Amino acid sequence: MEISSKKKEAYYTATQMQLVRTRFFGNKSAMIAGSILLFMIVCSLFSDFLSPYDPTIAGRDKDYENGAPQIPMFWDENGFSPRPFLHTLTKYRGADTNFRWVYKIDTEKRRYVYFFVKGWEYKTFDFNINLPGTAFDFKIPGFSNDLHLFGVKEGGIHIFGTDKSGKDLFSRTLSAIYISLAVGTLGVFISFVLSLIIGGISGYYGGWIDSLLQMFTDAIRTVPPIPLFMCLAAFAPLEWSSELRFFFISCLLGLISWPTLARRVRTHLLSERSQEYILAAKMCGASSTHIIVRHLLPSFTSYIIVDLVISFPYMLLSETALSFIGLGLREPVNSLGVLLQNATKADVLLNYQWYFIPVFFLVVLILTFVYVGDGLRDAADPHKTKH
Amino acid sequence: MSENIISVNNLSVSFDYQENFLSKKQQIKAVNNINIKIKKGSFFGLVGESGSGKTTLGRAILGANKISTGNVIFHDDDRDFDLTTINSKEMKEYRKKAQLIFQDPYAALSPRMTVRDIIAEPLEVMKITNSREETDERVRDIASKCRLNLEHLRRFPHAFSGGQRQRISIARALVSNPKFIVADESVAALDVSIQADILNLLKQLQHELNLTYLFISHDLSVVAHVCDIVAVMYLGHIVEMAPSRELFSNPKHPYTKALLSSIPSIDPENKSKAIELEGEIPSAMNPPSGCVFRTRCPHASHDGKEANVEMGLVEVTPGHWVDRCGVNCA
Amino acid sequence: MVSAMLQILTKQNIKTMSHLLEIKNLDVKFDTDEGRITAIDNVSLKLDQGKVLGIVGESGSGKSVTAKSIMQLNPGNTIYNDDAEIIIDNENVLKFTSKNDLKKIRGGKVSMIFQEPMASFAPAIKIGNQMIEQLLLHKDIDKNQAKQISVDMLNRVGIADAEKRFNQYAFELSGGMRQRAMIAMALSTMPKLLLADEPTTALDVTIQAQVINLMKDIIKEYNMGVIFITHDLGVIAQVADDVAVMYLGSVVEQGPVNEILKNPLHPYTKGLLNALPDINNLDAPLQPIPGSIPSPLDRPSGCVFRTRCPHASQDGKEANIEMGLVEVKPGHWVDRCGVDCRKV
Repeated sequence: MEISSKKKEAYYTATQMQLVRTRFFGNKSAMIAGSILLFMIVCSLFSDFLSPYDPTIAGRDKDYENGAPQIPMFWDENGFSPRPFLHTLTKYRGADTNFRWVYKIDTEKRRYVYFFVKGWEYKTFDFNINLPGTAFDFKIPGFSNDLHLFGVKEGGIHIFGTDKSGKDLFSRTLSAIYISLAVGTLGVFISFVLSLIIGGISGYYGGWIDSLLQMFTDAIRTVPPIPLFMCLAAFAPLEWSSELRFFFISCLLGLISWPTLARRVRTHLLSERSQEYILAAKMCGASSTHIIVRHLLPSFTSYIIVDLVISFPYMLLSETALSFIGLGLREPVNSLGVLLQNATKADVLLNYQWYFIPVFFLVVLILTFVYVGDGLRDAADPHKTKH
Repeated sequence: MSENIISVNNLSVSFDYQENFLSKKQQIKAVNNINIKIKKGSFFGLVGESGSGKTTLGRAILGANKISTGNVIFHDDDRDFDLTTINSKEMKEYRKKAQLIFQDPYAALSPRMTVRDIIAEPLEVMKITNSREETDERVRDIASKCRLNLEHLRRFPHAFSGGQRQRISIARALVSNPKFIVADESVAALDVSIQADILNLLKQLQHELNLTYLFISHDLSVVAHVCDIVAVMYLGHIVEMAPSRELFSNPKHPYTKALLSSIPSIDPENKSKAIELEGEIPSAMNPPSGCVFRTRCPHASHDGKEANVEMGLVEVTPGHWVDRCGVNCA
Repeated sequence: MVSAMLQILTKQNIKTMSHLLEIKNLDVKFDTDEGRITAIDNVSLKLDQGKVLGIVGESGSGKSVTAKSIMQLNPGNTIYNDDAEIIIDNENVLKFTSKNDLKKIRGGKVSMIFQEPMASFAPAIKIGNQMIEQLLLHKDIDKNQAKQISVDMLNRVGIADAEKRFNQYAFELSGGMRQRAMIAMALSTMPKLLLADEPTTALDVTIQAQVINLMKDIIKEYNMGVIFITHDLGVIAQVADDVAVMYLGSVVEQGPVNEILKNPLHPYTKGLLNALPDINNLDAPLQPIPGSIPSPLDRPSGCVFRTRCPHASQDGKEANIEMGLVEVKPGHWVDRCGVDCRKV
């Protein structure tokens, strides 16, 4: 197989980051997972735009509680329509249904789905941080918008169905993905900063500082996470606003998971520190700053990115678990854990199976992170053998 | 102006070793009472097996290891640097004049820096040049002396073979215009055909740039070919030191004799069996008292009197030094 | 008529006297991301019982891959060619499909010792237990007998206090002792064929001498066939009876060790010998082989050595030659291209 000399030269002059990127792009499963993940992240960022209804109680559809999913169709017995439509539903209760509320489908009346419709108002770039006291209050007035991707003129369009108070599950799911990712990001960030500091000092200096810090790290690691979470989460007063609670849960996640990352940072530093090229720089009289900035930091950037991506799924799962037990985020805030909490009852399993749709999204989210993390790790570490 | 570039006087280097937090601190004497003088322009060879202390000695001479007793003096053209009393400003000067070439061509180059940056790093760290153009010019100059293709300067280390990487290492050591180079096992990791190339390059650079080398190696054949004076180390002591022809044709210390006979000869008809030394090299943490070689020496007497001998070099013939204990058995 | 028949019969007899190991036309390629790399190209070797075949080469020569192919230890992306044969004791190893067949070869008829002794012992299991484990896999004996054999073997390789060492872990032994223990472990199953992949490279010179002496004694005592792989021509001269010189996956010269080292014919062999520092000839200058070893991805077509050969012609006709060994003198084989440049 002839490799052109231009390609060879490109290989010879490629930086480590370029090599990692090329290797990653060549990894099919990682690329597929990465595109799905990217798609989900973008959707979640635009969740308000994509949701036809407000995911909170304000957007509930009183006429369609516990409603089954309504999928727009292009064709029914009356003919084909280029514009997707839904059938109208009327609520009906009578002797023949044992006086239970049932929805009757009227196939004559069509409701067409329109795109880029005006709907409920939402704000973008709106930050409102309200911590205890007034010192850290932070408010950026965003600008409001009311454009949505799709909607119908009358009745409701509920692609994933609704829950028992009529809230649209599709909108709730989108918003839940966004919140879960946001909590995860904040948690990973806090964990990263802490582990960089502690692991960094530990790995760079070694000696007794290292021993001391490692004892401290291990002590935190030995505490079982779920009971620890539960205790700390139970401390959060009920009157806290949902944003505060959100912030608190993220901090908690970050504080509990930094030991693992710190250990990784320390290991990378310890092994890089004794590399010969570092000694060569020292023998020229290079200062610590020069060695850290020019040699150590670039050396583990790729590893740390991998570690960060891989720790994401753990954050997501922890948050989901906490919210599922009821100790994390609560209604009205949506997160995947909160949504899952609704799916635990037996009659849900029997009658309202669409409540499980968020489970699918949780699984996909976690799997894509794992595949992307694995792909990044394979790309960053070419020395491990395949097969 | 002394004719020696390095004088090592009664040098000992010890390391503290503590197994864990709670155990007793121990001292390992890696280098024990060494006295050598390296002449300017010479190619001084330091030979030994594992645990001999040769790497520690080399690095102590460069100031990379802390000296426990004795001193090391670097005789520059106009003044002397005493490594035991040197201050940080003088240390910066010394570093420009004395450099190290590493053994492993794969670990000694940062994979994230271009070759040009790797060679330029000493210039930038030691602030030898004032502008980027000046740095570039010096880098190109030394790279061409080391027979590196100037177009390859933009490339990263992963593009090069072992021999080429070693040339980059050499260029990096030489870019600050040093007078004294310590080459620590610089050809050990290379293929045979490349070894010869690098050794020839080192010799050529010595003539061109007026360098003095301290060449550390475990490979006696290599040392025999390139060095003019050779010192043999065992467990932190020098047991024999002589001009290389003299040492290899007329070895006097039993260890040197055993080392020489261990080299497998390329002549297949020369099937003589090597002088087999008994046992293993003792650990540096617990060296034998008196003559450190006595536990393996074929001439060791039964009454163990070598345990009380004090080691030290004695000039047996002009220029040929042997350890006291070895003199007696010769 | 009778004499003709006798001749045919004796020829047949000579043919049936088989070699312990015979490798025929072996090609080994690896399927990697960068493409298909040729590690070994058309290698044929023979080894008889009681003889030592040295394989000499530098990095990328394919010597380790050859040894691993005999034991089928190459990674999963290896591709062997269909007409290759590796015949050990009359069985073609490449045609083995079941694990049981391979088990007979690995550790049973063939044992291997490696360069890095720390790597062949599991760090958390005592040496004795590892030795017993492999004995029990191949021989129908009980634990006590296995222990006895192992301790005897440790004694035989010169490890003092064998019983004590039997119960120690690998890290408690020094480098030389570990190497001897590995030799003991490899020999305890009484293999017919021993593959030694750079067994002395990582050792200090004086320890190397001890291990080489030990191996020479053991080879004579057990009458094994040995393939000794190394880059050190001095060690080959002392240990081997025949030598094969490999470069970038091809054998360029092969023959009795005296003949090859005294009268090398291929430019690569000559180059190697000239580049070696000889302690008995300190005046000879060191002559490197010009250029550097091409990467296996850039394997030159035709004669692989042509990019560095001092006799390469200007018109590059060596790029079209097909390599192959030619018997120049009885027992002394040289690659076709190397034969032609002698005429220059």
